[in-house]
Amino acid sequence: MPALYSDVLLDHFRHPRNYGSLVAPDVSYEKFNPLCGDRIRIELKLNETTITEARFKGDACAISTAAASLLTELITGTQIEAVAALSGDQLIAALESNIQPARVQCALLALEALRAGIEKRFKDS
Amino acid sequence: MEELFEDIEKLVRTEKRVAMATLVATRGTSPKREGAKMWVGEEGRILGSVTIGGCVDARVIAESEKVLSSLESRLVEMRLAAEDAWEIGFSCAGDLDVLIEPIDLTGFDLYQSVRKAIDGGRSAVIATSLKNSFDKLLIIEGGEVSGTLGTPELDREAQTTASELMRKRRSATVLLANESLPVFFEVHGPPPTLIVFGAGHVAMPLISLAHDLGLKTVVVDGRPRFATRERFPDVDELLIGIPSEIAASLSYTSSTFVVLTAHDYKYDLPVLKVVLPAKPAYVGLLGSKRRGKAIREFLKDGGMDEALLEQLHVPTGLDIGADTAPEIALSILAEAVAIKSGKSGGRT
Repeated sequence: MPALYSDVLLDHFRHPRNYGSLVAPDVSYEKFNPLCGDRIRIELKLNETTITEARFKGDACAISTAAASLLTELITGTQIEAVAALSGDQLIAALESNIQPARVQCALLALEALRAGIEKRFKDS
Repeated sequence: MEELFEDIEKLVRTEKRVAMATLVATRGTSPKREGAKMWVGEEGRILGSVTIGGCVDARVIAESEKVLSSLESRLVEMRLAAEDAWEIGFSCAGDLDVLIEPIDLTGFDLYQSVRKAIDGGRSAVIATSLKNSFDKLLIIEGGEVSGTLGTPELDREAQTTASELMRKRRSATVLLANESLPVFFEVHGPPPTLIVFGAGHVAMPLISLAHDLGLKTVVVDGRPRFATRERFPDVDELLIGIPSEIAASLSYTSSTFVVLTAHDYKYDLPVLKVVLPAKPAYVGLLGSKRRGKAIREFLKDGGMDEALLEQLHVPTGLDIGADTAPEIALSILAEAVAIKSGKSGGRT
């Protein structure tokens, strides 16, 4: 029987990358699941349209945490437009795990926070 | 609010002058600790107690009336022979020293200063010479001092002792000036605080019961739908956000109790990483022994010191056969109180 979570997912959960906060971030957005209580904050530093630094912070399940960690790796150094092009399926595929339908929202929490944060940043400016 | 201040507020409304009886020393068994107070008003009102009642309190009342007549303090030493102790309900004899002072409530600002300090989150100690109770020194945590015990040297010595007793949160009589002067140190501190992570169904009776016990209470959760005033009408603070981030922003002292009731590793692990190194008085985690073992192993793998992990109480609460949420809350608070008092609570 295959393991529920892949080595990739477990590694990102146990050793999250880019965990923490940024000083004076250009983008900061926190999103939570109202029922299970997963809560993730994404922060970015931008150089015009390039994401130069990404951090996340939060208390969340293994899937949410690993997805947030992986996401920060995927977007660092990319253009903001690339975020719009990044689909939920791509992020889930990168976790290399069989994410059950009921847990898809866990995997997408950080991505939703990222998109909402970017939208807010450019709406405000 | 500390019972002492409630008593003073009541007395100020009805009395101008009272006798303040303070238990300043005990030897052997005593039902109350040093610092217990009884107030006897000129108009006859009695509040508080220096024991659990009986003949000792009756004698204190009689001595208090003498103090109110003479307006002179007196130190009453009660040497209870074993047979007297049995007669008044003690299971064994104990000697008590009770300082009784006449207090003019119209200019009674000493305890106002104490209360102000406590309201600001600081401890305060009143040091009183037992040879002359008019000699008093008020020491506020952080260095503020007023009054005097007679000499600057004595005041400095008293400040050192007061700092130590503040840490222990214990009132006591200590001999100063080369053991020639007995001084009673009356220690007051902010109320103990209970911080509960997880706003679930166990947290609700836990907060209500803690409130009734006089604890300041804080509930932390990431879910606004759970951490509501409606669910926690008695709570002092409701904090919503990333629990471990909130945990890092709170302060922990030797009178802080922390209980994790989320029963979810995503809150338990990051919060414990913050809370255990801060060394509060008590850290309890809701869950089985098996779950506790897994949590400890995870934290140990992450580099947490084993000595800190030993401070984690899991399952939290005394084994009283608790089943319902209120019963679990009772068992948790019973264990927390036992730890605070340095008792086993029946654990072997």
